[in-house]
Amino acid sequence: MTNYVLQAEDVAIHYGGVKAVDGVALTLEKGQIRGLIGPNGAGKSTVIDAITGRRRLTRGKVTLLGEDVSALGVVERRMRGLSRSFQRTSIFGEMTVYRQVELASHKMGVADSAADAQAVLTELDLWQLKDSTAQDLGYGEQRRLDLALALVGRPTVLLLDEPMAGLSVKESLDLAQHLKKLTSTWDVSVLLVEHDMDVVFGISDVVTVFELGRVIASGVPADVRANPRVREAYLGSAA
Amino acid sequence: MNFQKSLLSAVLALVLGGVLTMVVSSGTVLSLLTQAIIYAVFALGVGVLLKQNGMVSFGHALFFGGASYLVGIVLQLQLMSAELAILAALAVVTLAAFLIGLVIVRVPGVAFGMLTLAIGQMFFLTASRARGLTGGADGMNIDWPSRLFGFPLSQMLKPASMFLICWSTLVVVMFLLAWLMRTRFGGITEAVRDNEERARFIGITTLWPRAAVYALSALVTSVAGVLSALNTGFVSPESLHWSLSGVALMMVVVGGFKALWGPAAGAVVYFLFKDILGEHATHWMTIFGVALITVIVFSPTGVAGLFDRWVLGKKPSVKVGGH
Repeated sequence: MTNYVLQAEDVAIHYGGVKAVDGVALTLEKGQIRGLIGPNGAGKSTVIDAITGRRRLTRGKVTLLGEDVSALGVVERRMRGLSRSFQRTSIFGEMTVYRQVELASHKMGVADSAADAQAVLTELDLWQLKDSTAQDLGYGEQRRLDLALALVGRPTVLLLDEPMAGLSVKESLDLAQHLKKLTSTWDVSVLLVEHDMDVVFGISDVVTVFELGRVIASGVPADVRANPRVREAYLGSAA
Repeated sequence: MNFQKSLLSAVLALVLGGVLTMVVSSGTVLSLLTQAIIYAVFALGVGVLLKQNGMVSFGHALFFGGASYLVGIVLQLQLMSAELAILAALAVVTLAAFLIGLVIVRVPGVAFGMLTLAIGQMFFLTASRARGLTGGADGMNIDWPSRLFGFPLSQMLKPASMFLICWSTLVVVMFLLAWLMRTRFGGITEAVRDNEERARFIGITTLWPRAAVYALSALVTSVAGVLSALNTGFVSPESLHWSLSGVALMMVVVGGFKALWGPAAGAVVYFLFKDILGEHATHWMTIFGVALITVIVFSPTGVAGLFDRWVLGKKPSVKVGGH
């Protein structure tokens, strides 16, 4: 039996009669990257919201390292190692880069929060900007800072909601390399929602495809890319 | 600014206060300055709430007048010594504000402001009608003893002494706040203010820090209330009225809230306007209102913001990062 670090079973989020997500099942193994793709409005971000506790489950169960965390709030899930970044850059604009990352590390209960903050900032090439105020950074740097805030305390699972949005091709490739490296060196498992298909198919171990709140395909990148239904629903014939 | 620099600035400010009492010989001017400093402490309390929580209160007069009333009532009933009465008043106001804060800081934006207004006015009406305890609309005299903290009250109430007491209190409060903002607590409250959702996703429970800042701002405001009670020896329901909260808010807007000293500068500007314009125009508030609109339109960061840009050459910041 596979030991999943994260398991979502029969997850549903309904808004009245609207089924934003319905009956979704997902798993993540240690060090695995699972790409989530699908058209806008397919429910990808809602699934991340459901797993992290930002939205209450209508039905289903979320298990982290064997513990049912479905009833826990955002803070409790984060403390247990479930971390995320946001579609829109979500940082503390008026704080310096170092102060916010060190604070986040401290709140995660890291004994040497200063060393942890330095390690994360160095890993993401932000250490030289540690004294800059976040709002003065360039967009790409802010996206990396967003990721740094999600990485402090060495989370077990990282849920990334379109981390490449708005980045240049080079910045996207750099970030993709960072993510791939993190899964092996830091033992982080990643659930990646992304529209950049080159990135998703390039770094994911498995890919799950959403349409109208349901999973329509799941498997290794080559199989998913070749799936006729996926090509019809999302990738198009040119993919 | 690091701790040593803040400490040095505080010491220099204390010396400056001493020099001022030697240079300014007019008791009237010193009394006016004292009043301005008391309101500077009041505005500082309102400013802390805006700076650290990003919240606007229209009801902080509750803590200003509330502290004065508490001291007055305790002394009238002879429940404890004046020194203990002061400490008790500060503690009660802070605790009450924390408990109120736990409920109302959950409400964002204008609704929060309206709640503070409603709570403040509730106490204003209570004080106005509880004639037996508060003297009703006529207010009450505060029965200070002849000695306070070992000093003769008659000496303390002299214009120069009173100015020095209020000035020193302002400097110490500002220094303590500056220190607090640099601690972990300051970082947490900044994070919650900047981006509450992200704060939760780095493990911060956001309600407690917001309530704590509300209580802290109430504590600072209540210090001003105690100083006012000492300075005038009198308290009336007007000190609880929303219009007084509005005046403090005007001071914060004029002075700017990004820097700790901004609200204090706003209080000084307000009293200068009041004194200078008041001599020439009955409706001086109209002119001040025009000045207020000018500041809001052309320098939303107030006097402190202008100082940053013109003297320190800082660029205005761009807001990013929230949801």
